[in-house]
Amino acid sequence: MSTSVTFDRATRIYPGSDSPAVDALELEIAEGEFLVLVGPSGCGKSTSLRMLAGLEDVTSGRILIGDRDITHLRPKDRDIAMVFQNYALYPHMSVAENMGFALKIAGVSKSDIDARVLEAARILDLEPYLGRKPKALSGGQRQRVAMGRAIVRQPQVFCMDEPLSNLDAKLRVSTRTQIASLQRRLDITTVYVTHDQVEAMTMGDRVAVLKDGLLQQVDTPLGLYDKPKNAFVAGFIGSPAMNLGTFRVEDGQALIGEARVPLPRSTVGALTTDRVQLGFRPEALVPSSAEDAASFPVEALVIEELGSDAFLYGNLIGDDLRADHVVARVAPRSVPAKGTKVWFSIEPGRLHAFDVETGDALPTD
Amino acid sequence: MTRLLPAGALDPADTTGATASDVRPGRVRGREDRSRLASIALHGTLVLATLVALFPVLWILLSSFKPANRIQTSEITLIDSPTLDNYRAVLFDTPFPTWFLNSVVVAAFTMVIGITMSATAGYALSRFNFAGKRGLMWVFLITQMFPVAILIVPIYTIMANAGLINTKASLIIAYCTVAVPFCAWMLRGYFDTIPQELDEAAALDGLGPFGTFYRVILPLARPGLAVTAFYTFLTAWGEVAYAIAFMQTRDNLTLGAGLQQFVPQFNPQWHLLTAGSVLILIPAAIVFFFAQKHLVAGLTAGGTKG
Amino acid sequence: MSQALAVAEAPVEQPPGKQDGRLRRSFDRNWYAWAMVLPTVLVLGVLVMYPLVQGIFQSFTDLTESNAQDVICTKTLGGGEECRDNPDSAEFVGLDNYVDLLTGARGSFWLQFTNTLAWTLACVSLHYGLGLGLAVMLNRKMRGRSLYRVLLIVPWAVPAFVAAFGWKFLFNPRFGLINQALVNLGVDPVEWFNHRWTALFAAICTNVWLGVPFMMVAILGGLQSIPADLHEAAEMDGATPWQRFRNVTLPGLRPVSSTVILLGTIWTFNMFPIIYFVTGGEPAGQSEILVTGAYRAAFEGVRNYSLAATYGVLILSLLMVFASVYRRTLKAQGEVF
Ligand SMILES: Nc1ncnc2c1ncn2[C@@H]1O[C@H](COP(=O)(O)OP(=O)(O)O)[C@@H](O)[C@H]1O
Ligand SMILES: [Mg+2]
Repeated sequence: MSTSVTFDRATRIYPGSDSPAVDALELEIAEGEFLVLVGPSGCGKSTSLRMLAGLEDVTSGRILIGDRDITHLRPKDRDIAMVFQNYALYPHMSVAENMGFALKIAGVSKSDIDARVLEAARILDLEPYLGRKPKALSGGQRQRVAMGRAIVRQPQVFCMDEPLSNLDAKLRVSTRTQIASLQRRLDITTVYVTHDQVEAMTMGDRVAVLKDGLLQQVDTPLGLYDKPKNAFVAGFIGSPAMNLGTFRVEDGQALIGEARVPLPRSTVGALTTDRVQLGFRPEALVPSSAEDAASFPVEALVIEELGSDAFLYGNLIGDDLRADHVVARVAPRSVPAKGTKVWFSIEPGRLHAFDVETGDALPTD
Repeated sequence: MTRLLPAGALDPADTTGATASDVRPGRVRGREDRSRLASIALHGTLVLATLVALFPVLWILLSSFKPANRIQTSEITLIDSPTLDNYRAVLFDTPFPTWFLNSVVVAAFTMVIGITMSATAGYALSRFNFAGKRGLMWVFLITQMFPVAILIVPIYTIMANAGLINTKASLIIAYCTVAVPFCAWMLRGYFDTIPQELDEAAALDGLGPFGTFYRVILPLARPGLAVTAFYTFLTAWGEVAYAIAFMQTRDNLTLGAGLQQFVPQFNPQWHLLTAGSVLILIPAAIVFFFAQKHLVAGLTAGGTKG
Repeated sequence: MSQALAVAEAPVEQPPGKQDGRLRRSFDRNWYAWAMVLPTVLVLGVLVMYPLVQGIFQSFTDLTESNAQDVICTKTLGGGEECRDNPDSAEFVGLDNYVDLLTGARGSFWLQFTNTLAWTLACVSLHYGLGLGLAVMLNRKMRGRSLYRVLLIVPWAVPAFVAAFGWKFLFNPRFGLINQALVNLGVDPVEWFNHRWTALFAAICTNVWLGVPFMMVAILGGLQSIPADLHEAAEMDGATPWQRFRNVTLPGLRPVSSTVILLGTIWTFNMFPIIYFVTGGEPAGQSEILVTGAYRAAFEGVRNYSLAATYGVLILSLLMVFASVYRRTLKAQGEVF
């Protein structure tokens, strides 16, 4: 059943605007894959998804499902099911009617509809609610009905537009894993939109990062985390975010505060100016001492103690091109006191370097 | 989630449930002291307003049971040797029943056609961007500005050319021109409050635009449709000027036009008028009864959206 | 299964050329929108816009019932028809109608204009004021609220001519209840329809009675769409009930108010049946408003279509000027509808 999806330079320019909301999106999604589209608000995620679903015209380029060019097909001819952010359940129909509506339109026999609705309701624990109207359901139940409505169709592709954003934090976490495991089980190609990078990292087989309508990088979650293609991706993926700052380079060494951090030869070779944008994740900072020439002092401002982890937020001391705030992961339960000066160095091999102008990643090996 | 209007506040059950007995303790100091006096003033004003609202209707009703020669006395009496003679006279000695039937047919068709036209137009205006959309909204406003009374002559000519004069169709069409602009504009406002996502979900579920309109949007627009039904019905039910102009034989008159025959220049036949008025009010009351629950919710959306 | 089906239909849907395809898609996307508005556009176009344009044209002629025919046809003996030009067919007279109307040479435009202004101003402000007051009261939680609401809307369901008749009955100088009540109170009875302003007063009472429910319902809807927490926030800020009304309720009602006042003004301005049936213009046309004046021009004596059309154009222009000034004022205050 399941098929691949291909965006072939798909572009969307809204009427009355001159810049594209989605600009030449090039993306291949394999059969049965769970692909997450992630990016800040307004970057064009929903637009991309809605182009696939047929709710938005494609200005130029093509979209294919399998080998079939669906660019100009009507939504109903695409065999796609969608879960909307606000669920878009029909208020005047019961849960069962909501879930079976598409089948009813398609002329499936009543007994088949009932069987499939019941099956989906069982998977989603919705059996007791089949006769209720959406109004009489909790947020989480509505969300599951929306999922059920998509499942019942047994479509070739699932589209989901921030389906968890209306749930409370705890429910969001549990539903997240339910959706992911359901998708694995059904093995239906899924495009999932979210602005939440944690969701993206935990759910997706691969994650596509968008910014201002431009695709930045597509990779597995770990690939994005370890090898961000540019400073935007580096800063967007990961929580707490990667420390990013621009520093002066002298003799192949970056001046971070009082520290002189040696840069890999390849990085220095790729530099076009005497500055470099460096990135290092909070867990890449290791406690050090003033004696180490490559270590720099941080003034601890806030300590976040989470039990299993602890994070130190501080100011880099004595820096001219400052990365104002530095986040470091520190050992929990023995955290430094607020206001103290703590020395850190960057774990070898965990330094990211980016071009100051373009933001593109520079080689670091 | 999709009902943006606080429609719950309109259910009679809801309002009668919240009686004065649910005193919230200690909200704002002084509130309890004030409330007795304020509540008397409030109920007093409302009772007075209700009396004013009902009185003319009640007075007609009471008068309709008085004998013809007692209606025009200068003594105030509520009930004066009650009789059904006036009703008997209206129903059996005048063509009133025929007029009544004509009115029912005209009003029913105006209602159905008017609702269909304004709902489809309102939906298109709410959901689609098409060439001429803005122009149409202007036309709606202008049709409200150009006095209907003056359109009678040209519309008469058009109807005459179409051979429709003295038919119910002529009235139905004319009444639609009067009622549809406001109704379409109001329904557009109502449709705007129904999330577009529902249309999109319907499109993915396999419905075309007409299917979406009919199976998803219309069932959700009941309050708006109720107002439209009420409005179109009343437009047709009580209209006089067109009816007099277009209907030429006595048997084809509608109620509004027919009743004018009871008002000859110098000797109005009040006994027939009162009884006739009461009979006219009955269907209006029935339509009102079904629509009234939805009027507030229905008009809100239309009123808040321009 | 669905895939096989879909593959089979794919080639059919391929647009032949890019430009062509785009046009067709635009049509695909729009044809049903047009189809949905078509009945309305047709009916309004034929029965309102066409007569309106025709009316503008006629207002520059001297068209009346007697000169409406372009040709006069007479039956000949053989059963055929013989037609010749009507020697006094309607002619183009430029601005004569407007000049006559505005200078008072024909009709009594300025009297009717003053009456219309007074009538509209009184009716709309009373409609709005009373509607607002009742709506605010009905918006409180209290015993019997829904009953009050239903009963207060009742006048809306009364056809205008029945209301007119009922009030005329009440205002009847000989046996009307109002005069009887005045007599019982020791006041002289009033000959309501013998004076311009008392006649208008009777008409205004009728129209106010008839029109308050619409306003009340619309405003009640508006009140209910103001989030309750705004009131609560204002209460926390220490605002008195009056201050809350001024600073939360009234601003929250602005979208509703601005539309219903505009609509109410237009409707009242052109409200024909009330004046026509309640005062009938008595005394001697003194209580006519513009619309009834136009109606008389069109239907009484020799039907003067051109004069009626001139009235119509003037009414339309007045209302358009009003609407655009109104819009501009609102816009200046930051409200666009
Ligand atoms: N219907 C529309 N008309 C015009 N511009 C739109 C429309 N919908 C979205 N946009 C613009 O397109 C861009 C992308 O929007 P969207 O895809 O909704 O972003 P998101 O990534 O938050 O889902 C935004 O800048 C938005 O302002
Ligand atoms: Mg979005």
